[in-house]
Amino acid sequence: MKTNKEKSKIKNRSKKADEKQKNVLEMLKSHGAKIYEDLDNGQFPKFSIPSRSVSNIVYDKKLRQYILGSNSAVRSSRNSSQLRSFTQLMWLAFFANRLTQEKKSSTLRDVYYSSQAFAIEFEDQSESDNIIVDLEAVTSKPREDFHIFPEERSSIFGDLNIEYTIPGYEGKTMNLSNHPDGYSIGPSLTTAELVDTSAEIVIAIEKGGLFTRFVEEQVDKKFKSIIINTGGQAPRSTRTLLKRLHEEMKLPVIVLTDGDVYGEHIAMVIKSGSANAAHLRELTVPDAKWVGVWATDIEKYKLPTIPMTESDIKRCYDLQKDPRYEDGIWKKELDVFLRLKRKAELEAFSKYGLTNITEKYLPQKLELAKSL
Amino acid sequence: MSLIKEKFNQISPSEFFYSNRDLAGFSNPTRSLYTAVREFVENALDACDQKGILPDVHLIIKAVDPEKSDPKHYILTVKDNGPGIDPEHIPLAFGTVLYGSKFGLKQARGMFGLGATMAILYGQITTNKPVTVKSSVDGQTQDEFELLLDIQKNKPVIVKHNTKEVSKKGLSVSICLEGDYSKAGNKIRDYVYETSLITPYASITFDDPKGEKFSHPRFVKDIPPPPTIIRPHPHGIDVERIRRMIVESQFEIPNIDDAMIEKVRKDLGLSVKNLSFTVIMEKAKKKWKTLSRQVRVVIALMSFLKMDFEKLNKIKIEDIDMPNKKLFYWDFGDSQSKSVDMDSESQYFKQLTNTVQGEPMTTFLTKRFQRIGPTTASKFAEFAGFKPEKRMGTMTNQELVNLSDSLQKFEDFLAPDPSCLAPLGEEPLEKGIKKFFNPDFAAVVQRPASAYSGFPFIVEMGIAYGGDIKTGGPHVYRYANRIPLLYDEGSDVVLKVVNDTDWGRYKIKGDPPFIIVSHICSTRIPYKTAGKENVADRPEIERELRLGLQYLSRKLAAYMSKRGQADMAKKRANLYAKYIPLIATFATELAGKKKEPNFKKILEIENVDESKKTVVEENEVENK
Repeated sequence: MKTNKEKSKIKNRSKKADEKQKNVLEMLKSHGAKIYEDLDNGQFPKFSIPSRSVSNIVYDKKLRQYILGSNSAVRSSRNSSQLRSFTQLMWLAFFANRLTQEKKSSTLRDVYYSSQAFAIEFEDQSESDNIIVDLEAVTSKPREDFHIFPEERSSIFGDLNIEYTIPGYEGKTMNLSNHPDGYSIGPSLTTAELVDTSAEIVIAIEKGGLFTRFVEEQVDKKFKSIIINTGGQAPRSTRTLLKRLHEEMKLPVIVLTDGDVYGEHIAMVIKSGSANAAHLRELTVPDAKWVGVWATDIEKYKLPTIPMTESDIKRCYDLQKDPRYEDGIWKKELDVFLRLKRKAELEAFSKYGLTNITEKYLPQKLELAKSL
Repeated sequence: MSLIKEKFNQISPSEFFYSNRDLAGFSNPTRSLYTAVREFVENALDACDQKGILPDVHLIIKAVDPEKSDPKHYILTVKDNGPGIDPEHIPLAFGTVLYGSKFGLKQARGMFGLGATMAILYGQITTNKPVTVKSSVDGQTQDEFELLLDIQKNKPVIVKHNTKEVSKKGLSVSICLEGDYSKAGNKIRDYVYETSLITPYASITFDDPKGEKFSHPRFVKDIPPPPTIIRPHPHGIDVERIRRMIVESQFEIPNIDDAMIEKVRKDLGLSVKNLSFTVIMEKAKKKWKTLSRQVRVVIALMSFLKMDFEKLNKIKIEDIDMPNKKLFYWDFGDSQSKSVDMDSESQYFKQLTNTVQGEPMTTFLTKRFQRIGPTTASKFAEFAGFKPEKRMGTMTNQELVNLSDSLQKFEDFLAPDPSCLAPLGEEPLEKGIKKFFNPDFAAVVQRPASAYSGFPFIVEMGIAYGGDIKTGGPHVYRYANRIPLLYDEGSDVVLKVVNDTDWGRYKIKGDPPFIIVSHICSTRIPYKTAGKENVADRPEIERELRLGLQYLSRKLAAYMSKRGQADMAKKRANLYAKYIPLIATFATELAGKKKEPNFKKILEIENVDESKKTVVEENEVENK
């Protein structure tokens, strides 16, 4: 039997979810009403979309993320060349409205196929993906708020109680350490309420292999942590979840990546976002910390390495131009990568035994993270 | 070493054409059948044109034995309602090569009337059958001839000749020849079709050997004015031509013999008695204006010699030295040469000067060229560095060359007189194009007359788009002196000009349904070959074609852009009609309304003015 306190907590949580849903619906409704009115008044409806061109993406040092500048463009149904994309966007808003109202979720691919039922033509999925980003830009809300999720899934493991909000599972709870393969971060998990946790830290790790190793080594228990497998560049829903864990559960986030320039950038995107999602503010964990594998670790731990490819080197030079890599470890490690021109995998620690990474490297890094 | 002695023979014209018949388009049964049709039809049309008769031409081709396979013998008959040919000329006209009435200097379809004889000759050598000619000049009696050619002698052989009563004027020519209609049929049908386009005042019917009838009735009631013979234009004239003209302008000193003296006496109206020098001079003065040039010259000579007719009989004029004003003569009585001084102030001096040295340049130019007045003539003389009174007979070779060069370079001559040309005219051409192609757009232009090498020419062009025209254009219909040119189009100057045109610039793209009609009229078309199927790229002609085509292309471009705008507007309207209702549906549900908004109003706004849009164009979105 649940106590009254718990009951009211649950009530609060579902209220919160309801409120979020209500907000989204209200916003869509107000956009719709505006367009309805224009049409009714014999005017061609139009709306403003923040420009997502490179020239309008700037790094905001205060927010510690990429944001869109003030440039915006008007998309008008009067302009025959914009009429099609205007209609596509309207349809998407309409479709998102239904998804949200009915608490159904859809994938990017689903959206593309569903359009066909409404005589809305998308040439390919990338066109419909683009319109989805347009909707995010217009509403400043991530697509997950409209119940649209990517196909790729990353996973989570650790002592975290959640409570589903999706239809049919409302109020149902789950502990995320119940399944040793981890839980896939899908729509139900992304939208679930985070109830409580004994963990004190979130470890985001780039590779599925190491994630499994960490589960086996009981890193969650040993270091009171929640382990998240980002599967390379973290999907947006994963980044959303990371942000929520940080903000709602007050957990610090550390990122563990391969010892190469891409790894460094995976950490950076979690921390401060991507140019691609510069129109969104809810995806970044500015306080997230990258703890390794650093270029300096390659030397320090004498890790086995492989030479960097030309594209690795080019990527280093590209990142040097990024304002976020102007100082701190970001700059320092990049410089070392460039000097070494060699890279190392997380698995490189196996040289010193399978458990070396969790027994030696991780504790040292966790300690270090506190000072970062 | 053996010595081979070369033999020189003279061959008859018909012998020459017999061995070189491919020159005139009789190289094989297919081409020959087509060429024969052309020659007879063109002769019929020419004959009618020149007499101002609206032509009715009937072409019949019949297989001698329809069961046989091609190539086989065909009987080709062409009948017209023209003036006919006098029976006395028929044997020579149809039985001799290089005999005809077309050697003048004006525009006609054929130049020498040679082709028809060639067709007859070809018929004879392939089937050994005579040509049948029926002609009625007065519309009452008709002469019917059957003729063979004696090729070696270039002479007609009359096989049969009779006359009978008829009720219609005109000519009918019928030959039997080896041909290949299965291959030539397309070209012949095209030829008849295209001829009727450029000859809208003619009715042409064609009975083909398969029993089909192609009828092209006239749709224009007036014949364009017939051409006239004109003087040459100064542009492009050559030295040889000027030399000949100067000779024409000079006169021989008449031989003063008994006959000449008798003529002078008669023209002055003198009786036998009064023959004194003074009386003769007085009489001449009175009657000067009525005297002929020859008589005037004799009088002028007498005035300086101061002789009466009796004395005149005893001398012979030897030389007239105009610069030194001396007149030399041989006196038979004294048997010696004598001279008298001439008074340059005398009016008779001028008369002699004219005779000996030819006309002054200004007179020469105004009298012997078209469209040169006294002012232009003096301006030209100054331009060319001659004195206007320079006598043409005193020109040195070098001066002649200078004159000829200057005539070509001087730019103030008026354009050649086109009265020797018979363009169809813009109106009939446009009517023809509209009737034949039922196009959405048509434009025609007749360029002002121009000249190449002294031969005037006129370019007429038409352009049409859409309607019944099939795609894959431009389809080019080429004409020269109202003859459709169907072969060898690849190397033709018209094709060159058309192919040089960047049609994209005129908003014509893809596989356009459009045609170009080009008609070159000239007293001489510069054909590349004797087959008369393609026109050489003379720069003057190319330029006129280009200007004509550019003018028409601009008109077409204007039409295309209007059409494009209309298409765009329609396309836009369709877009609105498709998408606005969708937007309305989605907005209705989003806004939570029951009834759809009244969006019909904006759909009714026709031609949404793109220029009025206030929106900023959306930036291209880049994704990384």
